[in-house]
Amino acid sequence: MSDINQPLTKIKLLNPTYPNKATGLINGESSGLLNWNDIAYPQMYDLYQTLLANFWKAQEINMQDDIKQWDYLTETEKDIFLRINTQLASLDSLQTPTMTHVMDYVTDSSFKAIFAVIAQQEAVHNESYSYILSSLVPLREQNQRFDQAKEDPIVRKRNQLILDSYESFRENPTPQRLFELAINSINLEGIYFYAGFAFFYHLARQQKMLKTSTMISYIQRDEMQHAYFVSQFVRILLTENPELNTEENIQFVYNTIDQAVQLEKEWADYILKDIEGIDLEEFHGYVEYLANKRFRQIGLDNYYPERENPMQWIHVFSDEMMNETKSDFFEQKSRTYTKVSSSNGFDEL
Amino acid sequence: MKAAIIYTSVTGNTSALAEIIQEKMEVKGLAADLIPADEFQKIHLNEYDIVAVGTYSWDNGEIPLEMEEIYEAFESANVKGLTTGVFGTGDSFYPYYCGAVDLFRDMLYVHTNLAVTLKVELTPQEEDLARCEKFCDRLLSEVAVFS
Repeated sequence: MSDINQPLTKIKLLNPTYPNKATGLINGESSGLLNWNDIAYPQMYDLYQTLLANFWKAQEINMQDDIKQWDYLTETEKDIFLRINTQLASLDSLQTPTMTHVMDYVTDSSFKAIFAVIAQQEAVHNESYSYILSSLVPLREQNQRFDQAKEDPIVRKRNQLILDSYESFRENPTPQRLFELAINSINLEGIYFYAGFAFFYHLARQQKMLKTSTMISYIQRDEMQHAYFVSQFVRILLTENPELNTEENIQFVYNTIDQAVQLEKEWADYILKDIEGIDLEEFHGYVEYLANKRFRQIGLDNYYPERENPMQWIHVFSDEMMNETKSDFFEQKSRTYTKVSSSNGFDEL
Repeated sequence: MKAAIIYTSVTGNTSALAEIIQEKMEVKGLAADLIPADEFQKIHLNEYDIVAVGTYSWDNGEIPLEMEEIYEAFESANVKGLTTGVFGTGDSFYPYYCGAVDLFRDMLYVHTNLAVTLKVELTPQEEDLARCEKFCDRLLSEVAVFS
């Protein structure tokens, strides 16, 4: 049993006497060499492949349509657009270095590789917000908007929850703090993005700024898989280290995600209040529905009342919706069977 | 009457769903064999009156690799009279929610007597229990009519 408050040692790059297949996620023995065919959790290879298949870059998306439409947005829409853009960019900015930092203390090379891919994707997200900004407003205004995001008291209060946890792991990288960091990473990637997503998809519903929302859709798909990976990471961490799997830590998960839920509601009430067509009460319900999914992904029970997704339009675009898909060319599979539905005499529950 | 539940699961959601369905069937007086995908070779589809298939979806709503053999078995066996159902878990934020359930559905409709499909978001919740019950009822009533 390892002491959950004992700092993890930064592992050596190569440990030739240890096996390639790590003996543990943390505090394990691992040579440092990665052979994907010999890993402790083979499902991680599938996840790695899925993440790579997501590869995209901002420059592939032509912003011309959005540039033209920008002038037709109301002043309020423009203001909120820019504030949400810089706020999301600041969240992604935290995530890139944190993921690479965690790599130093994880002993399983396959997990290190996945953290590296996640860090790369966060860097792409970060760039995409810059790319959107550069298409729409001059540098002087971009900088003002970033300053605004840095100074905004509600943004700061939100970020503080995450920052405190990330910083405390930097100061003293213990298993306990790694666990707490992982939960806050789920908050960041799995809860904090959604008021922003709601805004951009709401514009998309009105056929506005569709190139921006195409990027948002790519970002959401990536973030969903990151949150899924981190939830798997948490489950494995708790299973391998039963001393972390305590009543207090389970309570920590409920309390911390609940805090993020309240902060996301508060942020939505503030940033989306002047947007017609987004019902804030409904959004509150949405955030709880979302958080329930996060709890279940970690293997815990729902914390909020069970409900159906009240805002089903917040979701990743399908290839058909994107109308220009880079992957189509490679992935077009012929379907042998015609699509059938309940009108064919069976029930769809 | 013989029933089988053939399933695969990566996070445990689909296996939880498979177990609920097995329990509901048992309550209705039918002991179903619960068969993980990697033990599929041990059985013959023709031995059964009811087969329920359970799968998660991968990537862009695709059938996971370990289910492909099972998918093909339904295509090549003569199971026209077999009553089937397909269930699965997934995340509705993706554009093809439980896409593998849909792919199985379209194939099973052609090759078997497909009675019912069921999609559940991640780990089953309270309300899903009633839906599992309906799923079993539909399979059982179909057999009664069909056989």
